[in-house]
Amino acid sequence: MNEEPFDRAELLRYFKDESEELLQQIDADLLKLEPLAASARSDPETVNSLFRALHTIKGSAGMLELGDVATFAHKLENVCDLVRNGRLPISSVLIEILFEGRDLLTALIRAGTDGTPATRSGAGFAERLETVVLRHTRSEDEEAQHVTADPATASAGKARPRTIRVDIARLDVLLDLVGELVITKNRIMQISTMLTRGEAADAAKLVAQLNTAAALLARTSTDLQEAVMHSRMVRIAGVFERFPRVVRDLAKSRGKEIELAIEGAETDLDKTIVDEIGEPLMHLVRNCVDHGIESPKRRRECGKDPVGKIELRAAHEGNSVVVQIRDDGGGVDLDRVRERGLALGLIAADAVQTERDLLELLFVPGFSTARTVSEISGRGVGMDVVHRAIGRLSGTLEIASRPGEGTTFTIRLPLTLAILGALLVRIAGELYAIPIDAVGESLRLDASEIARSQSGESIVHRDRFLPVIRGAEFFELSSRGRESGSVLVVVLRAADREVGLVVDEFVGDQEIVVKPLSELVGPIAGIAGGTILGDGSIALILDPNALVSEVHRGPGSVVISGAMPQR
Amino acid sequence: MTTTADTRQIVVFALQSNEFGIDIGQVREIDRLVPITRVPRVPAHVEGIINLRGQLVPIVDLRTRLGMPHAAPTKMARIIVAEIGPRSIGMIVDEVREVVRIPTDQIEQSEGVLEGLANEFIGALARIDERLIILLDVEKVLGPEAPTVLTDKESV
Repeated sequence: MNEEPFDRAELLRYFKDESEELLQQIDADLLKLEPLAASARSDPETVNSLFRALHTIKGSAGMLELGDVATFAHKLENVCDLVRNGRLPISSVLIEILFEGRDLLTALIRAGTDGTPATRSGAGFAERLETVVLRHTRSEDEEAQHVTADPATASAGKARPRTIRVDIARLDVLLDLVGELVITKNRIMQISTMLTRGEAADAAKLVAQLNTAAALLARTSTDLQEAVMHSRMVRIAGVFERFPRVVRDLAKSRGKEIELAIEGAETDLDKTIVDEIGEPLMHLVRNCVDHGIESPKRRRECGKDPVGKIELRAAHEGNSVVVQIRDDGGGVDLDRVRERGLALGLIAADAVQTERDLLELLFVPGFSTARTVSEISGRGVGMDVVHRAIGRLSGTLEIASRPGEGTTFTIRLPLTLAILGALLVRIAGELYAIPIDAVGESLRLDASEIARSQSGESIVHRDRFLPVIRGAEFFELSSRGRESGSVLVVVLRAADREVGLVVDEFVGDQEIVVKPLSELVGPIAGIAGGTILGDGSIALILDPNALVSEVHRGPGSVVISGAMPQR
Repeated sequence: MTTTADTRQIVVFALQSNEFGIDIGQVREIDRLVPITRVPRVPAHVEGIINLRGQLVPIVDLRTRLGMPHAAPTKMARIIVAEIGPRSIGMIVDEVREVVRIPTDQIEQSEGVLEGLANEFIGALARIDERLIILLDVEKVLGPEAPTVLTDKESV
């Protein structure tokens, strides 16, 4: 078995990655062809692309002896060939059945590569395909039986390729850098040997050499770090490409008309983030389709275009990537949110809530304003899960909404999770790292400037009230009591909100390598991970989002969410 | 092979006056006590985390976890790093005694015979001569499904 020149598992993995891309291509092509169905025109270029994608899948599957996949791809390919030759016109029925065929193909590929049994049965598909082909090659009769695709099992599947394709030029850069590293290592070892043997006739010269080597090492490792980071960057397109199909299927099943515009698909992001952001994004997009966009009838009544619009865009903004999902639907019904908030005991009847306070209620577990829980969006995964998932990626999620005009979700993500600039502080004797992006400023004030009220402590800073938390108290660490002299405060900023964090000492700022905390202890509110410092000791990384939202929402939210009815 | 069909290799360690054991297959390494970084907002039995050659590994005080009185560690105290799936977790024990090979026919399923111990964590009992070794079910004691290891999931 091991005599084979290639590892079969490796080949299967490669095939899976490749076909994942091709399936996306097929989706994109079908979506492009769909509007042509009404006029029975054709688009030779797109049909060709569709044909080629199926042909490639067929070929690779054949080589890997995945008979089912090859046979099925061949069948679909034949149909496309008929279209290509102009013998079969593009009709909505045809597109529909090709979509279904594409999903069946996905299931077959998954079954073939993972060894999991196909969950979708292709029962009757061949006959239906044949019926469509036979009937339509003869006439353009549109009465063929309507075939429905199941949107829930569409391309939104969980299959996440565990591999990454890297431009060979980037690998060359890495190799060069590693070469430099080895040379520098040799140099340092040589100096170390000379020092040990006491060959340091001219100690000052050796020190100078060591300094040069150290400087070179610093530069090379920085370059290496950057090069590795770059080779981990992939386009967000891989995630965005799933959405046209999802929106189409979902809109259809909801009886809505929706246009999806995508912008910035070429935006680069760390592969891990791209892998993880898919599901939260999917949820938000579904939310827009389900709850955002109104029915065509309702839209007409409001004097809007019956076709709803969803915009999905990504862009770089400084050291982060901003992903926005905007719909031109009805917006969040704040009165209903208030009503639900009151009913669930999340807000007090007499308290004044800003729009923002109300919108943030949507992130509370179990909160939903939907009158009917739809099959797609209501399945246990709520906004709270999306919020948390984004928080885990050190990102932030904000909602903005205008009644009658629509809702915008804004996600801000770091470019990479691996390395970040941090301010090191000491709280109750322990070192904590605060992501520098979240640090507004650091202040030294007199202890008397902190005012105490029923809702907690605050200071007046730049003519505004700034809530203040004491790190030691927040993290339930034994503190050294309240100082009377001066107090150090770090102003943390997350999602446009600020909070002052009282710390014992500023230690300095440095680049840190982020390490996850073991799942065996987490998740811990307010802690995003850990990092190992130069001397081997550990600093915990603060999660500014969690701190800011906990302070602004009040500590009570934790208790309330625990008591929420579970769905 | 360390463990065959008819014997199991067990790392035996002491806690209070009892002898415990875990399967050698689940032990990654045994270390002397090192400084432990405290982690806030975790259950009482989680002592903190350590840097194990670049990986952050949580450390559990096994006495606290099993409901025994806490005691200051002595020079004999060790950290046993166990593996649960792909993850590692360390537990502080009073002393590591030996590695023994126990015939499987001398291992019996326990039925809540031990007083004052959290019985749900005990996988089985092994007898060697006069000694009684309590075999811990590491998954149950330390695994992600362990009822109190996880903090409140909703608190993020």
